[in-house]
Amino acid sequence: MIVSWNWLKDYVALDMDPAELTERLAMAGLNHESTERVGDDLAIDLEVTSNRPDCLGHIGVAREIAVLWKQPLRVPDPNPAASGPDVAQLTRVSITCPALCYRYTARVIRGVKIGPSPAWLADRLRSVGIAVINNVVDVSNYVMLECGQPLHVFDLQRLRGPEIIVREALPGEQFPAIDHRVYTLEPGMCVIADARDPVALGGVMGGVDSEISEATTDLLIEAAEFSPLSIRTTARKLALHSPASYRFERGMDPLGVDWASRRCCQLIGELAGGQLAPGVLDVGAAPASRPAITLRLSQLPRVLGITVPAAEVARILQALGTDRVTGDQATIAVIPPSWRRDLTREIDLVEEVARIYGYDQIPEDVGVPMVPCHRTDEDRVLEKVRQTLTAAGFDEAVTTSVVPRPWCDAFSPWSDAAPLVASTPMLKGADTLRKSLIPSLLEARRVNESVGNETIELFESARVYLPRPSDLPQEQRTLGVTSGGDFRVLKGVVETLLETLHVSVPLTVSPTALTLLDPNRQARLELGGRLLGYLGEVDAAGLKQFGLRCPATVLELNLEVLGQAADLIPQQQALSDFPAIVRDLNLVVDESVRWEDLATTIRTTVGPLLESLQFQEVYRDKKKDGADKKRLLFSITLRSAERTLTNEEADAARDEVVHACGQTHRAVLLG
Amino acid sequence: MALAEFLKQLDALVAAATAAFDGAADEASLEAARIEYLGAKKGRLKAVQKFMGAVGAADRPAAGKRLNEVKTQIETAFTAAQGRLGAVENPRRTGEVTAFDPTLPGRSLRLGRLHPITQTIEELKGIMGRLGFSVAEGPEIEDEWHNFEALNIPLEHPARDPLDNFYLAVAGAAAGTLLLRSQTSTVQIRVMEQGPPPVRIITLGRVYRPDTADATHYPMFHQMEGLLVDRQVTMADLKSVLRLFAASFLGSDVHIRFRPSFFPFTEPSVEADFQWHDQWIEFGGAGMVDPNVLQMVGYDPEQVTGFAFGLGIERLCMRRHNITDIRALYRNDVRFLRQF
Repeated sequence: MIVSWNWLKDYVALDMDPAELTERLAMAGLNHESTERVGDDLAIDLEVTSNRPDCLGHIGVAREIAVLWKQPLRVPDPNPAASGPDVAQLTRVSITCPALCYRYTARVIRGVKIGPSPAWLADRLRSVGIAVINNVVDVSNYVMLECGQPLHVFDLQRLRGPEIIVREALPGEQFPAIDHRVYTLEPGMCVIADARDPVALGGVMGGVDSEISEATTDLLIEAAEFSPLSIRTTARKLALHSPASYRFERGMDPLGVDWASRRCCQLIGELAGGQLAPGVLDVGAAPASRPAITLRLSQLPRVLGITVPAAEVARILQALGTDRVTGDQATIAVIPPSWRRDLTREIDLVEEVARIYGYDQIPEDVGVPMVPCHRTDEDRVLEKVRQTLTAAGFDEAVTTSVVPRPWCDAFSPWSDAAPLVASTPMLKGADTLRKSLIPSLLEARRVNESVGNETIELFESARVYLPRPSDLPQEQRTLGVTSGGDFRVLKGVVETLLETLHVSVPLTVSPTALTLLDPNRQARLELGGRLLGYLGEVDAAGLKQFGLRCPATVLELNLEVLGQAADLIPQQQALSDFPAIVRDLNLVVDESVRWEDLATTIRTTVGPLLESLQFQEVYRDKKKDGADKKRLLFSITLRSAERTLTNEEADAARDEVVHACGQTHRAVLLG
Repeated sequence: MALAEFLKQLDALVAAATAAFDGAADEASLEAARIEYLGAKKGRLKAVQKFMGAVGAADRPAAGKRLNEVKTQIETAFTAAQGRLGAVENPRRTGEVTAFDPTLPGRSLRLGRLHPITQTIEELKGIMGRLGFSVAEGPEIEDEWHNFEALNIPLEHPARDPLDNFYLAVAGAAAGTLLLRSQTSTVQIRVMEQGPPPVRIITLGRVYRPDTADATHYPMFHQMEGLLVDRQVTMADLKSVLRLFAASFLGSDVHIRFRPSFFPFTEPSVEADFQWHDQWIEFGGAGMVDPNVLQMVGYDPEQVTGFAFGLGIERLCMRRHNITDIRALYRNDVRFLRQF
């Protein structure tokens, strides 16, 4: 809302500096956007929150100033002289859609002379950035900017009937607007029609057929109250936003409707002459009376933390326009003014007192009691996960939750249910709520490849959205990881995570057949029978789909399963003071022998003396070992808690391992 | 070889080596003695060790034990001699011939970095945790009750316009209309529905609004929301908590200013600013929890009051790190991520 400094002076004394004015107004609820000099005037742009349509006119802003500076507010009381036949003999008004138009008033002035506005009027409109048209249109705009009530003036002689029918638009109805474009209307929109066709789109824009021209002599002045919701949907659907629709969307002062009509007629009479017909056609619901609101003064310290003197409370409420009904030491009851529909409850009055009395009166150094505060296990787990991954050289990515549908279809290991879809795309082509983080991370790889980054090691912790019938979707907290390294690099990440989180349940790996991943280099991960996640190298088709040139491996884990298996407070285990003995082994086995099976045999064979079993390497020597054979190199570390082990014991353990592996896996010791 | 013979050889070796080390007059002669006795290939200790195999199997443990003792004695004598001559050798330096260049770069550790949004969130969580606010979480996909109705945003409110929200196109969903939450205030409602006051929480997370992506807007961003509901909670508490928060975040004392504002779920509603380096900086929206909201979650507004505040994480993060385009946060260019 742009207000003119000179214009405000019509209603309230402005003895302060403009900067002081805008500063104080901002502290009372009207944010200062800018101030510009226009001729000898200042155009002050104020931001008005949607609950304060009363400040969408100069009088409303002047009232705030009057309250803050304890000045009287001067509001005109227009009572234009009328003569000749009553308005009811000149035209008719009816409303057939009371849900869209609550109230419609019309006055008629005949015999006006259309011409240019006087300089004072033109200057004021220019100050606030409104185009100057002619004396009648300018007056209607002036009154709107004065009190906030939009008005519309029709050329009475161009109205067939002449009459006004306020009705709901017909499906597909055509409306030629004042902007010389034709709009297609639909039910739910409110049209002002004459006996035949729409002549205005109620509260949004006038029609071209009945607009005021040089030749106009007789006027019908509309002041009405439309449904805010209907105005908003209409303006949005037609992309037709006007100063009028902006105000109607926020709600009108019911008592201000007639004031605006009289004020408009008064100024037209002064500037364009003519004869005002006696009376007004006033159709629709009469303004309802408002119940009183009781403010208990004890609520002020209870909510604000400060006491406001009772006399100051009374002054503020009175200056804001409330009518005091009763009051004593402890309470004050008021009826709020018609232009303040936002005031309906005690707490609303508390806010009014607070903002005028000043929020700067509220202290910022009171003692807030201490309370215990715990960190959630989820946070603790996530912190360890992040520490581990960053220590392993992975950078954290944050990608958007909504992705293009093909990404979602490319990889969805957690759920086969059709994904959720947003009715509006979030970014171009992205309307599907993701069921996996992996496609987003592959896109991040592509971005990084495209700028020539060689090391692309990324992870993300976020939710995936797994639809469930008749419930909110499951939002699974998920960890996605992608690496340029191979399967074993990311498997190492999983194992390190399990170690860091002291997970004692064994990790098991089983074959799986997910799209996007190389059929021979992917695995399903489980912790004690619960699905932990998936791991695999992206296959050639997958790389192509995501525009990747370099190999990529991906890992996705259910953080909830991981967290539930974590032991966040590990307990100390006694350490042996006796030395350890290491033995290296190199076994030749069939290709089909899996390390995990061999390891189980080794662990069972050695028993409690086995401190650790370290896989070293696998390699193949077809010439020496024959086809379909591989060599597994590993070390066993032996230690006793009770004594120093001898070399003989270590050798014996090694021999037993060789024997057992030979028996169970047809393994042969090399060298 | 008999055990006795082997032990005798060992004793002789100890005596000779100790004498040689003790007698060394300078580093060069000590080094010569070291090579003679402890040399890896042709040292005399190594030579004697070879006779171990010749000792009878039954005597071998005893021979091994003595060998180890001898080895330790000789090494001790050498170390003592080294200490006497003031030349404690760096074990890594043996065999090094070229001059050492301390200006060569160190071997680099490639540590990953946390995303700047995460870093900011963790900072905020830490501060608010010290102020007694626990972290609460809630779903990102919400129903209209938690995103609007319970927050005092009725059906006809402009905030519910389909153009301003990501509603989900769910055919015949029994759960009713769903949408991506447009604010983290939804979690306030869920926490209050779950239990009686007092409540003292923060909630952080992703929120979604259909803004066109540009340098300062992105359709997905992060918010932090704080809520304190208890008996006798006032706006002075709100101001004081925000001041402690801002002072902790900025590391120096600051002042808080309230400007009146309007939010459906708070009354009074304010915009909070903090003063830093003589400049007022927008902090976020705040206010006293609207009595309607308290009633909707089954709290009695005559018994308890509360305050709530919310702020955009991206804005704080961008200001903190001088990031000028919000889109950079979600591009995940490793060169960008590794700046923080």
